[in-house]
Amino acid sequence: MAEKPQTSANFSSVPVILLLGLFSLPLLVMYAYLFIDTISDTEVGSLIPSEFTLRHWSFLWETKTGKPNIWLVTLNTFIFASCITGVILTVSSMAGYVLSRLNVPARGFFLAGVMVLHAFPSVTLIIAIFIVLQWIGLYNSLIGVILVKAAIDLPLGIWLMKGFYDTVPWEIEMAGTVDGASRFTVWRRLVLPQIKPAMMALGLFSFLTGWSEFILPQVLAPGAKVQVLSVYLASLIIDDNNFDFGTFKAVGVFYVVPVLILYVFFQKHLMNIYGGGTKG
Amino acid sequence: MIAPAAVMIFLFFLMPVVLTAIFAMTNMSTATGISGGVWQVTQGAVNRLKADMPELASGIAEPRFVIDEEGLAALEALKLKAGFTAELRTSHMGEVFPSRREAERVIKALKDRPSTREVKQISDLFNRSVLNTRFETRDELMASLKRLGFTLTPAEQETVAKATYTGWVWTTENFRIIANSPDMAQIFLNTAFYVSVTLLVFNVSYALFLAITTHYMPASTASIFRAIWLLPRITPVVIYVLMWKWLTWDSGFISMFMGQFGYPPKNYLLDSAYNAWFFVILINGFIGASMGMLVFSSAIKAIPQAHFHASEVDGASRWQQVRHIILPQLRWPILFVTCYQTLSLLASFNEILLSTRGGPGKATEVWSLAAYHTALQNYTGNLEYGLGAAMALVLVVVGIVLSLIYLRIFRYDTLISKPLIED
Repeated sequence: MAEKPQTSANFSSVPVILLLGLFSLPLLVMYAYLFIDTISDTEVGSLIPSEFTLRHWSFLWETKTGKPNIWLVTLNTFIFASCITGVILTVSSMAGYVLSRLNVPARGFFLAGVMVLHAFPSVTLIIAIFIVLQWIGLYNSLIGVILVKAAIDLPLGIWLMKGFYDTVPWEIEMAGTVDGASRFTVWRRLVLPQIKPAMMALGLFSFLTGWSEFILPQVLAPGAKVQVLSVYLASLIIDDNNFDFGTFKAVGVFYVVPVLILYVFFQKHLMNIYGGGTKG
Repeated sequence: MIAPAAVMIFLFFLMPVVLTAIFAMTNMSTATGISGGVWQVTQGAVNRLKADMPELASGIAEPRFVIDEEGLAALEALKLKAGFTAELRTSHMGEVFPSRREAERVIKALKDRPSTREVKQISDLFNRSVLNTRFETRDELMASLKRLGFTLTPAEQETVAKATYTGWVWTTENFRIIANSPDMAQIFLNTAFYVSVTLLVFNVSYALFLAITTHYMPASTASIFRAIWLLPRITPVVIYVLMWKWLTWDSGFISMFMGQFGYPPKNYLLDSAYNAWFFVILINGFIGASMGMLVFSSAIKAIPQAHFHASEVDGASRWQQVRHIILPQLRWPILFVTCYQTLSLLASFNEILLSTRGGPGKATEVWSLAAYHTALQNYTGNLEYGLGAAMALVLVVVGIVLSLIYLRIFRYDTLISKPLIED
């Protein structure tokens, strides 16, 4: 597909650009002020910042009473997102391979199941999951919420991996099996290296969804010791006594910057998956 | 190699589906707990019994005093005068007193003349009231009622057990509530309104608008706009909603901006139901538009350029190009987005929870949020897991049906290719 300069001799694109620019204004304003407000003070009734300050960032070195330490929360978030990534990559790369290559019993059923689960709005299960975790004692623990989140994202991962495996030519594998290597060895030594870019994309995507996840940790692991950034930020906002958008936004920026950085650097990888229809 | 996936999906996906159905048939709540319960004659239970068995109800609510071996043993352990125990055993064994006064009169009359303080002490030992005592099993409760002189028929026992049980029980009450309550009807209408408007206006129409307009722009401008409109999708939801809150807050952007023209500041998000809906739909719509834009853009990109060039030469207007080239090609993507977003809009309540929390009042309460509020977070403190699960079950059923339909529409059989290596 050639990069198309869609400029037409017959029409000018200026009007649509202006129109779209107008529509985009709210988003631009929100994002601009998200960053501006964290490092400045603005007088009441004015929209132009009046002075530079770093006090909104004080949450980085002072722990608020009744709130967990920000670095602990960040570490939790990191563990949460990385574990999810690890679980999803491992499990779905194996399952995807099986579904793509092997004629296992009930393969069709499994694939159909994965498709249905992918479309299925899993957040409706949260009440049952909440009760189950209380029963088995994983409520308010990172392990519980990691397993749940990973399981919920698995169908998408399996489906994507299956698609990636389908595009890999199988001659090399054939040679491997003929030479007497086991199926597992073939997969690990010959096939996995070929789908590295796909693993990269799925891994990044899982990390980002884990990093952004809010409702599962909020319900399943709200305790101070296992809080993640999204829950931390939400609890700040809900606290009506200290309503301070400057601090909220500073925490918000602290939270969103890794996402934006990863996104800017790996846009090409991620585009495939974001376009492929995930839950939104 | 597929086993880990199968196990995880089974444990955290299929089991919750089944459990949602099971919980929906119970009256589990914070009050009943989620494990078993105990039998306890609380004041509430007494009130419940009053209608059917007024005599028993007033009887068990009263304190009861029984002279029994257990009490005598305890009395001996107190090391008061030995005469108390001996006399109680010989002349009063097995007597039941319906009130403390009567019991104490007998104790006072003992030959060794206990002091007033001792009378109190002794009578406490023989207090066998069932009010507020916890019984681990049903039989214990019945046995203790019998000791107090209540002989009950099995049917009566059943009623008493039911009234005093503190755990959860099976019931279909939840579905009756859902079907009959006017609140639920209102929430249902809210949901229908929210899903259809967001879907039509933003997830499909506006996303199409974004995809088509960026298609007609110079590549660099288009990529800027695409990047901007991708932001709602990639921004973590908590911050995304925080920014909207700031925009609409009474010290936020809109208030300040309108202030320049002399309007008093107000909270635009929560001041009226109309505004709340406007922003809720905007907040969710922008996210949906992000996803729709991606899907539609890549579909438009797949249309052969020759079509556009040819129509251009023929002097087709932009509108004609959109109408006759782009839209027909986008039929499947549009259907896909519609199906997909219907489900996610039905189920997701993140954005509404974080922005309006269903307010003002219950104006923007939608079905999934109501289920969440019922079962997991509400102001009264009694979380009704059973009712919440029943509400979620409605969504689960809708979800399964819609995704099965959606599977059929998108021709599942073509997706399942033959495996490359037969084993």
